[in-house]
Amino acid sequence: MILEVKNLQKVYGDKIVVNIEDLQIAAGETVGLVGNNGAGKTTFFRMLLDLIRPTNGEVLSKGENVMHNDNWKNYTASFLDEGFLIDYLTPEEYFIFIGSLNNLSVADVSAYLSQYGEFFNGEILNSGKYIRDFSKGNQNKVGIAAALMQKPEILILDEPFANLDPTTQIRLKKLLKEQTGNMTTFISSHDLNHVTDVCNRIILVEKGRVIKDFKTDENTLKELENYFSA
Amino acid sequence: MLSTFLSHQRKSFWRSRNRGSSIAGQIVLGFFMLYFFILALGAGFGMSHLLTYFFPNQDVIKSFNGIILYYFAFDFIMRMQFQELPTLSIIPYLHLKIQKSKIIKFLNVKALFSAFNLWPFFIFLPFCFIKIAPSLGAVTTIMYIVSIFSIMIFNNYMVLYIKRKSITNTLYTFLGLVVIAAFAALEYYKIISIMAGSDFVFRAIAAHPYYAFAFTLAAIAIFYFNSSFLRKNLYVEELSSKQEKKGSTDYAFLNRFGKVGELAALELKLILRHKRPRSAVILGFFFLFYGFIFYKEKAINTDAFGQMMFGAIFMTGVSIIIYGQFMFAWQSAHFDGILANKINFKDYIRAKFLLFTIGCTIITLLASFYGFLSPKLLLLHLAAYLYNIGFGTVVVLYLATLNYKRLDITKAASFNYQGTGATQWLLMFPYALTPILMYVPFGILNKPYWGLAVVGTFGLAMLLLRGFWVNYIAKRLELQRYKIAEGFRE
Repeated sequence: MILEVKNLQKVYGDKIVVNIEDLQIAAGETVGLVGNNGAGKTTFFRMLLDLIRPTNGEVLSKGENVMHNDNWKNYTASFLDEGFLIDYLTPEEYFIFIGSLNNLSVADVSAYLSQYGEFFNGEILNSGKYIRDFSKGNQNKVGIAAALMQKPEILILDEPFANLDPTTQIRLKKLLKEQTGNMTTFISSHDLNHVTDVCNRIILVEKGRVIKDFKTDENTLKELENYFSA
Repeated sequence: MLSTFLSHQRKSFWRSRNRGSSIAGQIVLGFFMLYFFILALGAGFGMSHLLTYFFPNQDVIKSFNGIILYYFAFDFIMRMQFQELPTLSIIPYLHLKIQKSKIIKFLNVKALFSAFNLWPFFIFLPFCFIKIAPSLGAVTTIMYIVSIFSIMIFNNYMVLYIKRKSITNTLYTFLGLVVIAAFAALEYYKIISIMAGSDFVFRAIAAHPYYAFAFTLAAIAIFYFNSSFLRKNLYVEELSSKQEKKGSTDYAFLNRFGKVGELAALELKLILRHKRPRSAVILGFFFLFYGFIFYKEKAINTDAFGQMMFGAIFMTGVSIIIYGQFMFAWQSAHFDGILANKINFKDYIRAKFLLFTIGCTIITLLASFYGFLSPKLLLLHLAAYLYNIGFGTVVVLYLATLNYKRLDITKAASFNYQGTGATQWLLMFPYALTPILMYVPFGILNKPYWGLAVVGTFGLAMLLLRGFWVNYIAKRLELQRYKIAEGFRE
């Protein structure tokens, strides 16, 4: 198991925001986290990334508690929100900076970025703008591309499809599907179509608890739609 | 309508999110404002004494006439740097059923709410009533007031007009200051005299009071230009200062430091690309003149380094103190990213130390011009420098691990006390007091150079222990990371 969650709880005041007893994620799985607003998805992701201290329980990445050391950062890449972007850099500077953290040279980074011409739709590179001057959708693209560039074993994306135009949504799905197998992907989404399309396992959360956890098949979308319309 | 706008403004001020948390900061700010107003008022009422003090061989009214245009030239430069364009506040109204002219009126009225439009009243009016009224009569007094008021309005809208039309930057402000200084020098060597010019103008007004309306006309003209420009360009995109094409930069000199240099370069870009930290740095350069207050001839001659220590510490360490007091919070917008990425806490802290050392070294080198006053001051600066980079940096970074307040660095710096708490001010005491306390026993025993040596050696020792401090602060940061990250998310 590459990721294990044990008795993980986060309590704010008297409200339990996340309460996951046991969750095991095997290497290579593509997991979709689905739930309404306030289900605790982002809080959960933040605990996976050691950004919030859990009230109880632990997150084990390759068997090591993420709170205890930084080893997990060597093989984990993530993009949750704009708080992950350094918005006063140009996209190129940001990619080079992220690359340098992962020992990629400037040449490596540009070689990598050249594959992303289509994904960026010609709007990101050499645009003469700082990241903060981009639209939300384009900022998302920068964050996602920077995460993928790290060639991580674990990829964590919060609402990657939000704010993207339809073309880019389809391209992103393609990108994520291509990576399946060698990478463990954990994404959250409100878009049931996309999430069932990309993921081979769906975890449904409500009020911080795991309600359902199942492999996707042809009935999954129907099942989810039924759940959310009820 | 105008009153509705203004009431919205008032609400946006009182209800702003960070207000409640920084009441202490507001109070401190209030005291500062009060202090400056009292100073201005003091200058106003003491004007005749001040003028005789500075220009002893001249008629007071002539001197007064002489300084008015100087004041406004300086006022103009300062406005260029600090006065804000009141633009963003109109966005929510543009799409509503509100006439453009009303919005423009609102922008124009709002622009008047600036401290710059208060100083002239405090500084010049008392003199007008005390000296000018008795000797030149009521009409002249009124016309003096009219012209001062008009020049103030002229400056106010002229600056806004220039700012709206073009991109202004700090370089222009600096150039402006240089130009004024050049004129002052020319004045000193009696080559060209603005004072004489200014005196000529106001003498003319005294002789023919209605001349003052020329200023009023100029003010009205610029007000009109400004309004018509606004009317034609009432798009938020066009009203805020124009966008340049942004390029990527690489700081080659930092590359040799590896990942630490990479992080330092990141922070350097943060400083240069945001208004607030940039203003903080510029403020640091202004503080270079702080020494003239502290370095009195008597103190220098009697080797009273204790009295001058505070000035030296503050001046050479200003970059550490001003920038460091919001350490980590500068990066609050992307602190999550820093935590989630593969950044070693030790490298992160080392980068801060590196940046502080570079900044402090530059300022100390610049401050060496005080060596002309007395070479002793260079020794004092050396001690202060070693203390600052050795121990001051540690104090500041330690305090930073206790700071959980988010900072929005895109807002302007002047009189922006967001993210400031009472703790920040109180905790700066140990920073400044430690070296003074270290020096005092030697000062009492009349061994001033020993005192300096102790302060310097202490700093050097701490500098040699930097590896230890890096570990210590990295540990602290690791402990505090959840709290800090949570605070920075708001």
